Parts: sequence; structure tokens; C-alpha cells
Amino acid sequence: MLKKLEKEKKELVKKYCSERFGMSPKIWERYSWHSGSKNKIYISNNLELERINPESKGICIFRLDKSPKPTTNFLQLFGKYISKNYIEINNKNTIKYCKGEDLTLNNKSIIPGFVLITNNKRFLGCGHWNGKLLKNQLPKSKFCNINFL
Amino acid sequence: MDRYQKIRNEIIKKYNCLVDDKKKFAESINIPLKQSFRINTLKEKKETVIAKLKEYDSKITNVRWSDNAYITKLNNLGSSLEHFVGHIYIQELTSMIPPLIVKDLIKDINIIDCCAAPGSKTTQIAAMMDNKGHIIANDARHARLKSLRGNLDRLGVTNTSVTLRDFKSFPNTKADLYFVDAPCSSEGTIRKKNSVARIWKEKDYLRFNKLQKQLLSKACEMAPSGSTVVYSTCTFSPDENEKVVSEILNEYDMKMKHIKIENLKSEPGITQWNNEEYHSGVEKCMRIWPHHNDTDAFFIARMEKC
Repeated sequence: MLKKLEKEKKELVKKYCSERFGMSPKIWERYSWHSGSKNKIYISNNLELERINPESKGICIFRLDKSPKPTTNFLQLFGKYISKNYIEINNKNTIKYCKGEDLTLNNKSIIPGFVLITNNKRFLGCGHWNGKLLKNQLPKSKFCNINFL
Repeated sequence: MDRYQKIRNEIIKKYNCLVDDKKKFAESINIPLKQSFRINTLKEKKETVIAKLKEYDSKITNVRWSDNAYITKLNNLGSSLEHFVGHIYIQELTSMIPPLIVKDLIKDINIIDCCAAPGSKTTQIAAMMDNKGHIIANDARHARLKSLRGNLDRLGVTNTSVTLRDFKSFPNTKADLYFVDAPCSSEGTIRKKNSVARIWKEKDYLRFNKLQKQLLSKACEMAPSGSTVVYSTCTFSPDENEKVVSEILNEYDMKMKHIKIENLKSEPGITQWNNEEYHSGVEKCMRIWPHHNDTDAFFIARMEKC
């Protein structure tokens, strides 16, 4: 069951997005925030339902375990607002990424942590950069073979 | 003759009496459908996506009756990067019709999609609303919620709540617009490979009719005065179409509204079938035949609660 998200957690995510991805706090104005199972955080339009307990509202944007972890759905939708800590990959690596593979890259300028992966202005999803290896963060349900890109 | 050809022949024989051009109807049933899709404007501009897709198929065409419905000769667009990132949604052309007939209403409003999975119409409506307003996307089967949830996530829909309920016992909820895309015999999807599993018997049509009427009744009961109810199926069968609407018009205070989509050829609902007369209002329903627009078959009705 979804609950209203505590203010501290909401501020933690907003701060993370601002510091890690350079996202303006303005983008959050139209959304209401909820927490679900497994520390998942959802945003949706301001939806108040009487007498109905929905399975889900809006989309899951983060998981709050030890630290905030952005979801691929979040990065695909809000990628256009991200101004730092994104990694552009070529077509060959895009095919590997979509299959769920990790990537070895040479990218010194990115601070280790979660990153947005892009290909030719298309926002692919989430990865974790440790300075040498880009760990694939795609959920298994999204793994696929890409034939056209 | 294979089993599916037998089913196709049976359908042609059964509905030939309702069509304007028997030969073209029979021919169209035997021609497989091309893949169709729409652009998800919640994530990207149409022009940008189309320019990219034309690198894969230069002959992608926009249909005449919708500015966001396209056809491609490719049959595996699902393996394109545009699909992966949620820029496109592969959808039958006829399935795009219900939101289009209420284009005048779709803005910042409350909508209930009673039988929403896998989310084709819900995601289309959300895009038309630009993620504003509120949609309740309901489905009765847990197994189908996964695909619904997956499509909402992939397309970046934030204005939708997903509920798991048998709509027949859904709590009364006021909305401006209700979509009842009811489970049906799906005969109209016959052009899709192996889509119709068997030849339906009279008792099957009666079973579908009963369920469809229950779902539509529920929507009509909970709809406040002035709200709109859209009923649709993907079948030829009058028992699941005009008969359901006719029974609703006889029982509820609903007013039929005229439907028109520019450049889409359609026919009015029929008023007689199997020696049964229907309510005259069903003539305002819309029937889409496969040979008219090179699509599946479809049936749709727009009603307003008095």
C-alpha cells in the first residue's frame, strides 16, 4: 500500500537530484510523493482517491536503501533535465547495455556514482560508474536485443 | 485447409450479409495487417522520432485519419531503441479510435479506464492529456497488471493510478469520462496471426454479451449526469455490440452521441440481427470494417448520461 512520503526523505531525493544531476527543484512542483514497499519512492500527479486503494500511483523514481538509487524509468523520463553525470555511449555499447551487460569505458571526468546513460540524445537508463566499470542497472524485465538504433 | 483458414472462412460467411462489398471484405480478411504504432509525445516530439524511424524504414506512413498513427512494413519495431526508451507504442490502428472520438473532452479531467490492460488506450489518453488530470486504470486480472504497469512505466505516465478490481464491483467513483473496452470474442482481430482461437458458438456470444452488459451497466450507474461513457469491442458480432448498447439504452438514462473521425470510413450500427430489433439509437454507433481502412474490425459507441 502506498503512503505519503515523509518530508525528510522527499528533501533527500530532491537534494540528491540537484547535486548529482544538476536538476532544478522546480521540476517537482506538480507532483505528489508516496512511499511503497521495498523503500520505493513514487511520484504522481496530485491524485486523491476516495474509497479506492490503488496498486500503484504514477511511477517509481527512486529506491532509498543505504543511499538514493534512481530508477531507469525516472532517468528516461527526466533525462532532459539532467545537466551533469551522464555518459554518452556508442551504438555497439548501447546494444550491450540493453542486453544487461556491464561496460568498460574510459571516462575520467565523471564522479563515481549513479549516472544517466545516453545514446544520440536518447535517454537509455541507469548505470553505476566506479571509475573503470559501468555497472548495468537495468531491471531484468527491460533486457532486450536491439535490432534498430 | 488449416484451422485458422477455417475460422476466417466462417467469419466471412457469417458477416457477409452486413457488408457493402462482399468480395473486398473476404479479400481483406485474408490479408495480414501491417504493423502500426504511435509516437509517445510525453517523451519526445513526433518529428524527432519519425526522422529517426525513417532511417529504419523510409516508407513509414501517417494514416489519413489521425495525426499520430503510423504504419510500417517492419514487423519488429519492438526491437528498436525508440521502443526501448518509450518513444513509440506499437498499437493496432483501431485500438487508437476510442480516445480519438472524445478528443473534444480529453484535457485536465478525471477518467476511468475500466478494462485497461495492457494499457494501449490508457497511455494514449495520458499522452493526449499531457500527463495532466487523472486516470484510474483498472483491470480485473492480476496477471495483466504486469504488462499495464510496464507500459505506463516505459512511456512515463505519471497521471495514472492502477487498480485491481472486478469492475462489476468497483466502488462508485465519479469521473468525467469512462472507457469500457470490454472483453469480447475478438473476431475483428482475425487479420492478426492466430488471434482468434476458435469458432465461437451461440452460447459463447451470450456469455460475452452478459459480461459486457454488466460492465457497461456499472459504468452507466456510477457515471454522474453529463459525463460520457465510451463502449468499444474488437468484434463483428452484433450480439456483443449493438445488442449490448440497445439493452443499455432501454434500461438507463443515456443519450447516444454522434461519432465522426475525419477521413476514417465507417458505417452506422445495425438495428436488426437474428430477427431481433434494436433501439434506434444504436445507429449512432460506429462500425469499422476491415476492407474500408485496411484495419481490424471495431465497434464503438459514445453515450452521455442524462
